[in-house]
Amino acid sequence: MKKVLITGAAGGLAAIVADTLKGKFDLYGVDPRPFPTGREFPGKFFQADYRQRKMADLFRVHGFDAIVHLGRVPIAARLRKTQRFNLNVLGTRSLLDLALKNKVKSVIVLSTFHVYGAHQHNHLYISEEDPLLASQTFPEIVDAVELDNVSVTFSLRNPQVRTVILRPTNIIGDRIKNQISMFLRGKMCPVLLGYDPMWQFIHEDDMANSILLALEGKKSGIYNVSGEGVIAFSHAIRLAGGSPVPVPSFLSGAVIRGLKFAGQYFPRHLVDFFKYPVVVSDKNFRKDFGYEPHISTADALRGLKIETAPESIEGRPELPTEANSKD
Amino acid sequence: MIRALKKKLIDAYLSNEEKSKVERALKNLASTGFDPWGVNPETLKASIASTIWLYRHYYRVVNHGLENIPTGRCLFISNHSGQVPIDAMLITTAALIELEPPRLLRGMVERWAPSLPFVSTLFSRCGQITGDIHNAKNLLERDESVMVFPEGVNGVGKTIFNRYELQNFGTGFIRLAMETKTPILPIGVIGCEETLPSLSKLGPLAKKLGIPYIPVIATGPIPLPTKVTIRYGKPILFEGNADEPDSEVRKKVETVKNAIRAELEAGLAARGERIFTGAGV
Repeated sequence: MKKVLITGAAGGLAAIVADTLKGKFDLYGVDPRPFPTGREFPGKFFQADYRQRKMADLFRVHGFDAIVHLGRVPIAARLRKTQRFNLNVLGTRSLLDLALKNKVKSVIVLSTFHVYGAHQHNHLYISEEDPLLASQTFPEIVDAVELDNVSVTFSLRNPQVRTVILRPTNIIGDRIKNQISMFLRGKMCPVLLGYDPMWQFIHEDDMANSILLALEGKKSGIYNVSGEGVIAFSHAIRLAGGSPVPVPSFLSGAVIRGLKFAGQYFPRHLVDFFKYPVVVSDKNFRKDFGYEPHISTADALRGLKIETAPESIEGRPELPTEANSKD
Repeated sequence: MIRALKKKLIDAYLSNEEKSKVERALKNLASTGFDPWGVNPETLKASIASTIWLYRHYYRVVNHGLENIPTGRCLFISNHSGQVPIDAMLITTAALIELEPPRLLRGMVERWAPSLPFVSTLFSRCGQITGDIHNAKNLLERDESVMVFPEGVNGVGKTIFNRYELQNFGTGFIRLAMETKTPILPIGVIGCEETLPSLSKLGPLAKKLGIPYIPVIATGPIPLPTKVTIRYGKPILFEGNADEPDSEVRKKVETVKNAIRAELEAGLAARGERIFTGAGV
């Protein structure tokens, strides 16, 4: 059985991906965070920063065939900007270097469609060749853009390592606890008054399945991945069982601060996504990897309210501080 | 509450056949009830319900040459006038309720429109898209129909003294048509030029304020109930290289301009000075 290393293995998406991959691959998980108690990784788990020497040794000892790089620290993790940048950009870089040195055959990198940025001149559909405008209006997100860039440069320079960079739309589902699914689980969801852009979602199972397809496929490149439909944001909120609460644009800063005060963090770069549509085309991924979403957007949104099953994932564990300081 | 109002509006002004026509005009609906560009059948029906009375009883629109409209993808090119795009509204309504199969025309709106609250949402729900070449190309490749006014704001803002004089045309639409192998349908709209007669654009003041024009309407802010004729010419299909130099494309622009001019002249000759009663047929 081929050996696959999953980064960000303590996170919610990794658990779903690992469930999909187990039995088909020999799984290894790595994460700078400790593994959360109450669930088990279906394989071997190691706690390590991707830039540590321990990481290099893992590669030497186990000889991975493929890497699934899910370990991007989101803005919501509330790390210092430089910490987040180092973990995401330098961490990815050293991971890719290790992959090259140890003759890993395939690398799957999970980027995000956020790198395109929500811009008023966005056209429809956005393809993989379109420029990454996100840091133009929201410089905070530069680490996500750079992670994507580092991976793209790597794939161009090293064609011997099959590199697939996936840029999925909003991942939702009843198990995942990322920013957007937590937002949509709320009863009252702030939206911008007068704006109702089109959004795309992908169900967590379809996402896990896309990663499986990317692992088993032959092609390399950058691919947008999305679910079946496109939906107006306010309708998405209603399908998920919440009510949109319109907030005038000039008050959005105050509302974000208010939410922060109430203990709910809201990434500011998403405010632009509340205004302008970012609709991507995943026709290349469908063509090259035979991808087909199985769960409709409407069903995925309705499923968000389903009572979380007892074996599901706990909240995101905190990053240990010492892991961040070691370079 | 808004939903109930929408439903009331739709039931009051649209027959069942018209409702079904609006539904059949939408090809790419997802399970979510939206197409990728943001069109929603209910909002579109409500918007047609609110324009159909104007179309039938206020402007008493007469269509001429509907049989010229090709069935597949098509680029609708028309003269532009009237200070506010009433011509766009009437052509869109005609294409939805007069054609079989019905079709939703995608208008290309100004690039700053998406930044306007409410307006951006309404435009998107009714099939209006940002004037971007990628948008138009993607739509035509999916066999949708796109409506372009190559005169842009120069056309819509012109004064009553320049009525029925075609302003400068852009060249982008010719390249777009050639690249996507789309027939161009020349359209002449007669009657909209007199509905809000403007005496001046107040150019210097408008420029200072950063807006394209400030119309000085001779008859007040309510559009006049002129009789409107929409004349559809024979479709023109340009073959060849979409990357040829501007000098070549300019010749093709002239061909389209002449076709529109011919429709306008024929319509004006038939209508004469009877702007409130005469049809341009």
